[in-house]
Amino acid sequence: MTDAVLTVEGGRTTSAAPAAGLQKKPRTFAWIGLLPFVAFMTLFLFIPAISVFAQALRDLDGSFGFGSMAEAVKDQNLDAFKFTLWFSALCAAVGTVIGSLLAYAAVSITRPRWLRNVVVAFSGVAANMGGILLAFMFLALLGRQGVLTKVLTFFGLDLYLDHGFGFDKIAGLVTVYSFFNIPLMVLVTLPAIDGLKPAWREASANLGGTTLTYWRRVGLPVLTPSLLGGFMLLFANSFSAYATASALTDSSRIVALRLGFFLGGDVKVGEDSVGYSLAAWMIILMAVSMAVYWVARRRAEKWQG
Amino acid sequence: MQPNPSMANDALVTATQGHTPVSAVRSTTWRAKLGLWAVVLACTLFFLLPFLAMTRFALQNVPTIRLGWSTLFENWSLKGITQAFDEPGFGEALGLSARLAVGTVLLTLGLLLPTAIWVHLRLPRLRPVIEFITVMPYVIPAIGLVAGIQVVKPHARWFLDSKLSLIPFYVVLTLPFTYRSIDAGLRAIDLRTLVDASRSLGAGWGATLWRVLLPNLRTAVISSTFLIVAVVLGEYTMANVLLRQTLPTFTAQYRQREPQGGYGLAVLSLVLTIVIFVLISRFTRPKSGRAQGSPVLTAAAPGPIPAVPTEGDPS
Repeated sequence: MTDAVLTVEGGRTTSAAPAAGLQKKPRTFAWIGLLPFVAFMTLFLFIPAISVFAQALRDLDGSFGFGSMAEAVKDQNLDAFKFTLWFSALCAAVGTVIGSLLAYAAVSITRPRWLRNVVVAFSGVAANMGGILLAFMFLALLGRQGVLTKVLTFFGLDLYLDHGFGFDKIAGLVTVYSFFNIPLMVLVTLPAIDGLKPAWREASANLGGTTLTYWRRVGLPVLTPSLLGGFMLLFANSFSAYATASALTDSSRIVALRLGFFLGGDVKVGEDSVGYSLAAWMIILMAVSMAVYWVARRRAEKWQG
Repeated sequence: MQPNPSMANDALVTATQGHTPVSAVRSTTWRAKLGLWAVVLACTLFFLLPFLAMTRFALQNVPTIRLGWSTLFENWSLKGITQAFDEPGFGEALGLSARLAVGTVLLTLGLLLPTAIWVHLRLPRLRPVIEFITVMPYVIPAIGLVAGIQVVKPHARWFLDSKLSLIPFYVVLTLPFTYRSIDAGLRAIDLRTLVDASRSLGAGWGATLWRVLLPNLRTAVISSTFLIVAVVLGEYTMANVLLRQTLPTFTAQYRQREPQGGYGLAVLSLVLTIVIFVLISRFTRPKSGRAQGSPVLTAAAPGPIPAVPTEGDPS
């Protein structure tokens, strides 16, 4: 019965939109097909995310307010945020510079021919290599009992005693996170570097420009959106990294770990709502970085026709 | 790498060299070239050394303090890798990870295939909206999501206390890649014609999906499956906070007790992950042109965010 009615209605819809050969049901019902997906995302992503904010947006007496959010960026928590922001920015900067250099090398070194493919394929793997495996690799290399630590000590350079090295320090974290940040940057900038047309360089040279002029006036301006977008992506990536950091150290100055300790009940960061405020601030920071990344990427695609 | 239309004229060059003309034309002085090679070599070392160091700990049972020329070839064995298998708890952890991986694959395909096909057929205008929703896991990282789970937990204990309750959250974590991959697969085929043809030959929706669309989406389905398996076998954040004994959390605890065994398991997982990613690149490689981009990148190309699971996901 219903079917028949819908088919009749569908006949009209079809004639109105000739391209839609399959349109049997009127458009107004089509959104019903999205229900399972939307319900799933609501249950397993949006409700948890919103409940974080529901817990976070409380004053210390439990009523609605911004008290906890403010508390989450004070004293020790503020120290953790400062430290994490600072090393994430540094991780992103290092990843951006080395990653784009490596991408540029992969594009411009023409012999051997397989180099580019190897760099790209490897980047695909290594960019996914966060987590405990990565942490173990660096513990084996640069931990207190690490192989390289031992070799360097043999040559009279004690990383830990002389240089205060550690995986809870900026140098250690930047080194480890570069392992996935550099390849990620390669993947992000490679299309942009491919988009640099040789004709631009020739034009610049014909007009009397040196290599430096070319890069300053043409190359870098074209690449800027990609580099900026990549930087934001790496920043977000480093800031929210939990697994790698957790296997490397138990420093509660890393915001993700601090949040993890709070969730496990190991560390008191203030009232419960303050703990959730840490998560809320993190999500806000992620949203801002990803939004910048998004806009930058749109701009970058202009030159990648 | 996206193919550049202006390069069509140089197709012959590309075909013979297997390389983009851009790089062939680009003039680089030998000094610049030397610098670039230095970058490549330095990166090679940086990426190779940690792996070699971990392999040494997995295969050689000599404390670092005694490490030197005289002990270089002492005590190498596969013991570190094999002894992990007999460890109590290993089988259960591996079993749980395997069940989570299978469950995540099935739920992802069961949810995403119909949704993506529906959106392409009936609601093409909503495509950007759906795509936006699918990249939300980048904004809410695993550690943020798990905070949300802890809030919701008292209200849904019957579900969240179950070990397999991680499955839907793993579906969410891998969504940016899996949806992008299936969406790209659907764009590459003439979906409407296929469906119309199949339907007018008398096939029902089930048969159309199973016998017409699925074979055409093989690449997307296979690469999504592999990626999910790789991510689930490595996911540490949620499993650790929720105290689930999966392969990664077991490995982390095991290394504390038994370093060599822990490193052995890690080497095994790492090799498995690399194999999975090599397989993904085999399956997703475009048939023409050798100098195409990586599978991950290719899958990422159409959207605003590369489908590279960030640290939060695989970890």
